[in-house]
Amino acid sequence: VPTPTGYHHVEDVMGMAISIDVHDDVTGTPGLDEVITWLHHVDATFSPYRLDSAVSRLGLGELTLDEVDTEVAEVLIACERLRVETGGAFDAFSVPAPNGSHLDPSGYVKGWAVQRAADLLEAAGLRDLCINAGGDIVVRGGPRPDPAWRVGLRSPSDPNRVVAVIEATGGLAVATSATYERGAHIVDPRTGQPAGSGLASLTVLGADLGVVDAYATAAFVVGDGGLDWVADRPDVDGVAIDWEGHLQVTASCGAVPGGGRWRLLRPADLDMAPSRRGQEHGETRGRHP
Amino acid sequence: VVDGAVYQNRWGNVQVEATFDASGSLVAVDAIQTPDDRSKSVWINDQAVPRLDAEALQVQSADIHTVSGATYTSTDYRRSLQSAIDAARDAQLTNLA
Repeated sequence: VPTPTGYHHVEDVMGMAISIDVHDDVTGTPGLDEVITWLHHVDATFSPYRLDSAVSRLGLGELTLDEVDTEVAEVLIACERLRVETGGAFDAFSVPAPNGSHLDPSGYVKGWAVQRAADLLEAAGLRDLCINAGGDIVVRGGPRPDPAWRVGLRSPSDPNRVVAVIEATGGLAVATSATYERGAHIVDPRTGQPAGSGLASLTVLGADLGVVDAYATAAFVVGDGGLDWVADRPDVDGVAIDWEGHLQVTASCGAVPGGGRWRLLRPADLDMAPSRRGQEHGETRGRHP
Repeated sequence: VVDGAVYQNRWGNVQVEATFDASGSLVAVDAIQTPDDRSKSVWINDQAVPRLDAEALQVQSADIHTVSGATYTSTDYRRSLQSAIDAARDAQLTNLA
């Protein structure tokens, strides 16, 4: 049995448990301190729950754009671009925020911050890593000794089950927008189903977690045509799950800019995964002379 | 690695990539999507594909590294599948030490 390598840490920050899983063969926890410092810095700067954050003070008119760090301006520009691109289905500027203002870029900030956290780990010399921030994920490299990351997509009806698996190598970002209580959203009077389509969850795959997170939010709000909207975006794909666990997809496999590759598996396919077969039969993978 | 011809299936244009080892034996075949000619999304449940709920994994047998779902809080995390996966990973690494 191959020896597991790397380190694992869960950080409670930004209201979430962020799981940082490194598989590189390293001693200690290279990159971890930098990532933890970064995530807490993002929370202090962007949290709409903290009245003293730059974003809260900006939203409440206590600061102007000239007075905030360029990273804040950079995030707000990205949010505005996403608002236009999604026809307002993603909007950081008009939804009531916890601080009483109408500025809440959280829906982009979380993914943006985690994407940068993965970059920080790579800068520390790591390449095989996974960060899961409350269900939104960045993977890089592979989960050695396994050849590919397997990302389960949660069943809408059972938190302990997955109905599909994304197998990924290289770099991939995965974000899901969902409601897991039937009828929790507005009912569509034409169908009697939850607004839009009766979709329970919508997952978007791509290179950048900030972007796919915002896309997932927007496409889920759009409802019926949401996944077709995803299909029309360059460089991203999507998987929707309905209440019966049926899958709707834009593709069954794909490549993302930066070298990442992915394919969709049904859970039953996992029994055929080479790593598991090899372990069960005590074999070494590959050909023998 | 040899790329095959592009063909059309229900998901759009697909190309098959074959990988051979040094002795010329086929070791892997992967479907790769050609990115610039995309079709609209399709439902993939039909008679040819069994209902997925019946096949859904349970946590005990989950051969997965992580789980994507609606954003959960740090309070929800304790009861989540992700925390179970994390605990299993921690146990692996602890046994190593």
